[in-house]
Amino acid sequence: MKKIYSLLVLLGIPALTMAASTATELEGGFQTGPAIILLFILVLFVMVGIVFRAKNTNDYYAAGRGISKVGSGMAIASNWMSAASFLGMAALMYGSGYHGLAYVVGWTGGYVLLLILMAGQIRKYGKYTAADFIGDRYYSQSLRAVGAIIAIFISIVYCVGQFGGIGLMFKWILGIEYALAVIIGGTVVLAYTLISGMLGVTKNMQIQYVIIITSFLIPLFILHFKFDYFWILPQIGYGSLVTDIVSGVPLVETGQLFNSLGHEFAMAPSPEFAMPWDPATGKTFFQWIAIAFSLMVGTAGLPHVIQRFYVVPKASDARWSVVWGLFFICILYWSAPAYAAFGKILSANPEVGKLAKDAIVVYTAQLGNVHPLIVGLLAAGGVSAAFSTVSGLLVAGSSAFAHDLYVKVINPDAKPRNQLIAARLGTILMAIIVTVIALAELALIGELVAVAFSLAGCTIFPLFLLGIWWSGSNRQGAIAGLIAGGLVSVVALTYFIAGKMGAVLPAHEFISYWLEAWYFAVFGAPLAIIVNIVVSKLTKETPIEIRKFLIENVHS
Amino acid sequence: MKDYENGYHISFFKPTTERARFNRGIVLWLTTIWFVAIFGFHIALRVLEKPTPEPPLIAYENVWENIRYGTYGEADLQAFARSTLSVLGKIAINEDERLLLSGSMSWSALGLVPEPVRQEITAEIAEFEAMKASGIAYNDPSYIDAKNRIAGKFTPLIGLSVQDPLTRILPLELTTQGIGSLSDEAVTRLPSIMQKYLLHNQSVLTDTKFLGFPFHYFYSSVFLLILFIGLCWLYCVRSDRRNKILGIVD
Repeated sequence: MKKIYSLLVLLGIPALTMAASTATELEGGFQTGPAIILLFILVLFVMVGIVFRAKNTNDYYAAGRGISKVGSGMAIASNWMSAASFLGMAALMYGSGYHGLAYVVGWTGGYVLLLILMAGQIRKYGKYTAADFIGDRYYSQSLRAVGAIIAIFISIVYCVGQFGGIGLMFKWILGIEYALAVIIGGTVVLAYTLISGMLGVTKNMQIQYVIIITSFLIPLFILHFKFDYFWILPQIGYGSLVTDIVSGVPLVETGQLFNSLGHEFAMAPSPEFAMPWDPATGKTFFQWIAIAFSLMVGTAGLPHVIQRFYVVPKASDARWSVVWGLFFICILYWSAPAYAAFGKILSANPEVGKLAKDAIVVYTAQLGNVHPLIVGLLAAGGVSAAFSTVSGLLVAGSSAFAHDLYVKVINPDAKPRNQLIAARLGTILMAIIVTVIALAELALIGELVAVAFSLAGCTIFPLFLLGIWWSGSNRQGAIAGLIAGGLVSVVALTYFIAGKMGAVLPAHEFISYWLEAWYFAVFGAPLAIIVNIVVSKLTKETPIEIRKFLIENVHS
Repeated sequence: MKDYENGYHISFFKPTTERARFNRGIVLWLTTIWFVAIFGFHIALRVLEKPTPEPPLIAYENVWENIRYGTYGEADLQAFARSTLSVLGKIAINEDERLLLSGSMSWSALGLVPEPVRQEITAEIAEFEAMKASGIAYNDPSYIDAKNRIAGKFTPLIGLSVQDPLTRILPLELTTQGIGSLSDEAVTRLPSIMQKYLLHNQSVLTDTKFLGFPFHYFYSSVFLLILFIGLCWLYCVRSDRRNKILGIVD
């Protein structure tokens, strides 16, 4: 392993030093430095994957159940920190100010629910995938199949946002059109997933975390130092910047501070950036609450997140890995709003032009005159964040296809070779579907990812919550709840897609507001839970074996 | 018969094992804290908030009736130009509204130019507009020269201070399109546009400063995340301790 690192360092440093001389432009042109850094990081990930490759099925699906609490926490954080966290969150706050904080609160607050309601119990239940749990707990092969299909669907929706992020970063690095960038980026991430797969995936995730967080934080320290804010702890230092944006920064106080385009570090008062549900943003109190709630229940229902709890040796490790995971995630989430704030002030002059919100993290570093090589590292970090999540999602989706659908439902006698082929085909098919959808540029990355959360919140979350905490929840209740949550999802997504296609459906404005695609779980999740409870009460009791298992293995 | 063997039922609200009883207690406590901290705070924010105007909105409302009915004086035009410009200084404006605002601002700013030189200055703005439309580099000396010349003429005219960042926006937003009079559309839509951008939901929670932040911003972006980690940590510590007492081994 040491040899691999040494080789990579020896090859990488001279190339990077050469690339450092390449000036970074705000847009357009091939960015040599960032391209080399990106290539270097991807090769590193594959190398680590090969060195720590899985040796058997248990290793493949659950990393041998031998990962420490801190290591698992890092893996959770890396798995979690996608393009939506790295690029999307700052974009949301840049575009809609305080409203964007609903995403920060939702994506972190959900971990409290996940921990106290599920983590330990899921580990004690001892299954490999979400569909496994659903099929087993609700004693139904059909529900297992539906669970697998939902997991695949959620993975696809989640991946769309990631491919958007990869496309934007490839566009910036290679200086090409977005559509071509998505296709190239999608091909690279597919090749990367097929080569590395779950090989040493957990170890890889730990290394990915370190790279992602380092690349995210370094420019932030530099920006705070350059523009004279408290740089030792930028996560607090940007507080004065937010206040400055609210009250305005006059020209006289800025001295010699300029952005990279030569505009003074100054702006007119813009309280709309920080004030809650400001009319200028077009966002309301209800939307803030609905987004936070939907993201929180979605967090506790995402298959690839739940799956992380199967890789730790004990239930207590599953619990502690959430604490560590949340801490590592929060390091990024405390920092992302600072990029939005700097981005706001550095792009205040209309001459900067209209910037792609989802790339504002990178543009902010560029406008702040951060060294091109560090901006390149930041962009490569963004791609790494998307890659780590996409590869996890594609593996989770293809596992659901190969393990839960193909082997458990379609062909129980399938040979391991056929199972592997099914998994590979599933991965390729998913990547193609995701690429096609990502080309449509339906919404911001963070918003697209939020759709996956609402889907998970309406479907999987109620099944896990009731499945763990109430033995009375039975197959019929689960089916009814799933139908209710699914219907809400279908209505919300139909109106969303129709809106994007320019069609106007009945009560379009009403439905689009109350059941918007990023927060329909605010109604869908409670409805699915209520329907599940009512139908379970009215139908035959859960079999004794399941109840006994819950008592003796999960709650004792 | 042990209590957990009693029908093998598990329910969060009717726990049948010691561990489940403990879980119910701690889960209820932690979710209550979690719920109140997130939603309680934001409900308080909502209850306490008052629509608070920015100074340019007050200035605009003071002169709007005069502007609307054509009974304005020079000071009214200045106040109107400054207040519309202050909205244009905001970065996220609907494009359609931007056009309306820049037209209105330009109308009022040009109304302040003395009649003998108005045509000349209008031509100068038109020339600068053409320069912008041609895609000239923003650091081209002729572009910078034209921009500074226009800014230099209009800054004192509309009563902007030289430290005001709006002086940098002013030449970029001046237009010669429809400056003969305030358009009917502007008369109809301006009041709501100005309110949309210059009226904010503020309260003691947003106006109080904490570690440099507006308090509510600190609360949501920093404190809540610390609280979430704290709640998770507390749950793990208590769970481990209870498992030890009950002799539960994972």
